[in-house]
Amino acid sequence: MILNNIELTNFRLHINTVLNFSDKLNYIVGGNGQGKTTILEAIYYLCTTKNLNQSPDSEALTFNESYFELTGKFKDLTEEKSRLVYSVETNKKTCFINEKQFYKASLIIGKFPVVTLTQSDHSITFGSPADRRKFIDSVISQSSETYLKILLDYNKTLRQRSSLLSLLKESREKSLFDEFDAWTETLIKTGAEIVKHRINFLNEFSEYVKNSFVKIMEGSESPEIEYYFLGDNKTDKVEENFRREIKNRRNDELIRATNLVGPHRDDFVFKISGFELRKYGSQGQHKTFQIALRFGEFFFLKDVLGKTPVFLMDDIFGELDTYRSQKISGYLREVGQAFITMTDFNNIESLHISEKDKIIKVEKGAVAYA
Amino acid sequence: MNIIEPLQIAIEELSKLPTIGRKTAQRLALYILKSDKDSVANLIKAVTDLKEKIKFCSVCFNLSVDDTCEVCKSPKRDKSIICVVEEASDVIAIESTNEYKGLYHVLGGVLSPLSGKGVESLKIAELVLRVNEPDVKEIVLALNPDTEGETTSLYLTRRLKPLNKRITRLPTGLPLGGDLEFTDHATVGRAILNRIEL
Repeated sequence: MILNNIELTNFRLHINTVLNFSDKLNYIVGGNGQGKTTILEAIYYLCTTKNLNQSPDSEALTFNESYFELTGKFKDLTEEKSRLVYSVETNKKTCFINEKQFYKASLIIGKFPVVTLTQSDHSITFGSPADRRKFIDSVISQSSETYLKILLDYNKTLRQRSSLLSLLKESREKSLFDEFDAWTETLIKTGAEIVKHRINFLNEFSEYVKNSFVKIMEGSESPEIEYYFLGDNKTDKVEENFRREIKNRRNDELIRATNLVGPHRDDFVFKISGFELRKYGSQGQHKTFQIALRFGEFFFLKDVLGKTPVFLMDDIFGELDTYRSQKISGYLREVGQAFITMTDFNNIESLHISEKDKIIKVEKGAVAYA
Repeated sequence: MNIIEPLQIAIEELSKLPTIGRKTAQRLALYILKSDKDSVANLIKAVTDLKEKIKFCSVCFNLSVDDTCEVCKSPKRDKSIICVVEEASDVIAIESTNEYKGLYHVLGGVLSPLSGKGVESLKIAELVLRVNEPDVKEIVLALNPDTEGETTSLYLTRRLKPLNKRITRLPTGLPLGGDLEFTDHATVGRAILNRIEL
């Protein structure tokens, strides 16, 4: 899938911006606060109807304006037009695909797949287990609606069970315990499905990450993603282990009135050549790992969905040395179309730029092709 | 806005009904205002009769005019099988198929600690008593296939297992006569995961 053209009206600094893109690499260059990332934000809106930084829609509006409007023309097998209008008065956005209005944001999922590489990816390798789960879940959910559904069911079960645990703190009636056992059973069944999906997914996904890592890093280092559920990584033992552990921790759970066992406490350990990244990794290794994860996600989704995602990269060259930047810009050739923001115009000299690429200069919300 | 009080009150009351918004409530109120006295009286009677004439069956807690409902009273029904459902509306759904000849038991909800629904607030003790009768041979669990429904089925199975009766449940998966290609992906995905041996 290729994004050919977008139009931004009253979108942050962009009062009226029309851009035609290359189907190869699009470098968006400009100083700080000139409206580079805004272009990525607009593309993200058109692909997902959501804000890239999960901030409110009203914040993306130009000061003193009453609405913003975004239009994007994609080319898949046919031309697909995505349009989104936000109005201050109603504080609502209306979304259209091919000028047909749709009301459920979930309808657009999978239509225009998008992969982003931004500063906030920092948290995937540096942050808490919850950040890693969020990343892994989002990639699996994009490739499997069934997984998303099971995940929602599981989260609901967690809430029901924890509410029951607080009831049990006040009263220890026999009937409440029977009820508790039933919820435990549901937790094990849905939880085990999640774990199995995660194991199968990581077996496949690790290869994608490995391939990407090798492409951007010369040398012998090799990445791994380790995932053990209760000390095991075989799908056939999941339910058995889950059942045993939840039985062992039953008293703990009752005392602390919290769900203590299950995939909601999973962690994924990232390793480089056997060393745990979070403990021993350098800043550069972290960054490389984050980039390899996103490239891995891109190629994984491309294969699974049979559709090339839109690739957005926000200011990644700033932190990398020239050698690695070159490697990445070389690797980007294999991606096809991508959108890359950069602050430093001089930096661009050192990258592999081909004639088909486009360099877009952004200054105070105005654009020019270089 | 200045609407005379009786009309205002009627609009407010009507808009408390499910799926009725303010505009629809206003339209309904004005329509009733314009209707002749007889049809308004009929409407009022129909509404009050709902509350005054309909009660819950003392055996199965289905909707009923008498102390026991039509299903429980009927000599044609198979008394050896009890179908457990969430609400009276589910009885209507199953009855309209004409495929089921047994009795019902309406739980009045499902287990959901978050909304304060526990074992005590459902008609579970009553169900256990009924199942204990020697005539009863089979219990069909026909609860909604969502998290709460499934958990309630698990709970009931455990409660009823010691009574040594046959316990069955409705299968989930692909709709009959539906097209595989038009079924939503989540359902097809689950059906694949829960496939059965032939």
